Amino acid sequence: MSGKVVITGMNIISSLGLSLKENWDNLVAGKSGVKKISLFDPSHLQTQIAGQVSEKFEDYSLCYITKRMAKQMTRVSKMALVCAKDAVANSEIDFETFDKTRCAVILGVVSTSNSSVEVGTTAQNTIIKSMNNAMSAWISLEYKLLGPNYTVASACASSAYAIGLGFDLIKTGKADVVIVGGADSTINPEEIEGFNELYALSTENSNPEKASKPFSLNRDGFVIGEGAGILILESEESAKKRNAKIYAELVNYAITSEAYNIMAPMKDGEGIALTIESAIKNAGINKSEVDYINAHGTSTMLNDKYETLAIKRVFGEQAYKIPVSSTKSMIGHTVGAAGAIEAVVTVMTLNENTITPTINLDEPDPELDLDYVPNNARKQEVNCALSNSFAFGGHNATLVFKKYK
Amino acid sequence: MAKITENTKDEVREIVYNFFSEECDVDLSEISDDTNVIRDIEGDSLMFLELIELFKKKYELHIELKSIGKYIVKHPAETIGELIDTTMLIIEFENGIVDL
Repeated sequence: MSGKVVITGMNIISSLGLSLKENWDNLVAGKSGVKKISLFDPSHLQTQIAGQVSEKFEDYSLCYITKRMAKQMTRVSKMALVCAKDAVANSEIDFETFDKTRCAVILGVVSTSNSSVEVGTTAQNTIIKSMNNAMSAWISLEYKLLGPNYTVASACASSAYAIGLGFDLIKTGKADVVIVGGADSTINPEEIEGFNELYALSTENSNPEKASKPFSLNRDGFVIGEGAGILILESEESAKKRNAKIYAELVNYAITSEAYNIMAPMKDGEGIALTIESAIKNAGINKSEVDYINAHGTSTMLNDKYETLAIKRVFGEQAYKIPVSSTKSMIGHTVGAAGAIEAVVTVMTLNENTITPTINLDEPDPELDLDYVPNNARKQEVNCALSNSFAFGGHNATLVFKKYK
Repeated sequence: MAKITENTKDEVREIVYNFFSEECDVDLSEISDDTNVIRDIEGDSLMFLELIELFKKKYELHIELKSIGKYIVKHPAETIGELIDTTMLIIEFENGIVDL
């Protein structure tokens, strides 16, 4: 297909809200969604805070999901479906007017989070609730879509991978519309304990809203978040035919493997740099066109340092002129959902010409000297933006978005 | 193996109707013996298994799910009426249902 791949709908569910508007307003305001965990009693854990989705979500989901379906879905699968339904509504797509064999669903999924925190799991529903393909299956069932329908797992880069694979389906002419994204929650005692053993999580329990502090000198690990992000990818031809609102163009992407270490990123950000370079090359853009980077920005010592080094390696002196900000400073690390949530934030940045901040950047790390848009959102024309996602296992992804023209 | 009486039949019917009404969020008046569980009220195949568990407890039935599976393969049940008939056979014959 020679035409472009465009975004015609999107949505976010996170600790900052249940709708796109609520999330965007709170992100621009630089609010934090991190609080003491209330899903279970975390008092025995080193880390007792997280970016937890509002308790109102359960009631909200019942407006979208039948009681029967709810019994067969985890809380996170419900987030995926509810988020997708609002994204589809946002796109104003009527799938009844589409050839449904050319409509697909690809989600990035680490797990459905059928953990000890999940309510209502029984022998009868445990398989249905646990199976990793459940989220994409529920979305496909909702709209009776008959094209490809699957999940991809690459840890914290999962939903960025899903977006890239959705791009390919449209670009190669195999689909007209692809619902892409992801949902995740690791807010459960088992995984928090596991991450604590890896010294990966912040333990700043006394001041939750200040705990996620990417690029700052006193950063002490990431904060777990949860939520969902969904985008509607569509061929330009299809979008134009139905006079759809086009939010942005997904120009291209790169996915790479570091093949270096199961947990640590490649030294000095070599692997990250390779990913960004490849994405720019695949997109056929000049480096000078990039005017914003939505960073992976986890608030861990190594990620923030290596991501910074990688950006400098790719862009040279220009790196100092590119605003780089971390959504995770406000909502924590949503793991499998992070790539999609941050892609939505990047698309919103292009639309609104507003760059969301990196909050809690009160004490900059002298080694990290890029423009991280500290603490306050910034009004600025943004025409071309990158969104980075990197994962345990060395799964890297960079997405390239542009204003649609 | 339970003895089937008219009372049992009425009881089973009432339980099945109420179960699908509740689970599928449809009014009882919208359900009849001809209602197709998947096509008409967006039910699913797991519902029958849940019903069986319910009846196993209620009538203290000794039946393995694989026996029901073998019977269902030969005698598919798609409507409410067919499910009620199958349930009556399960209550009456338990594992002997495979020989029917």
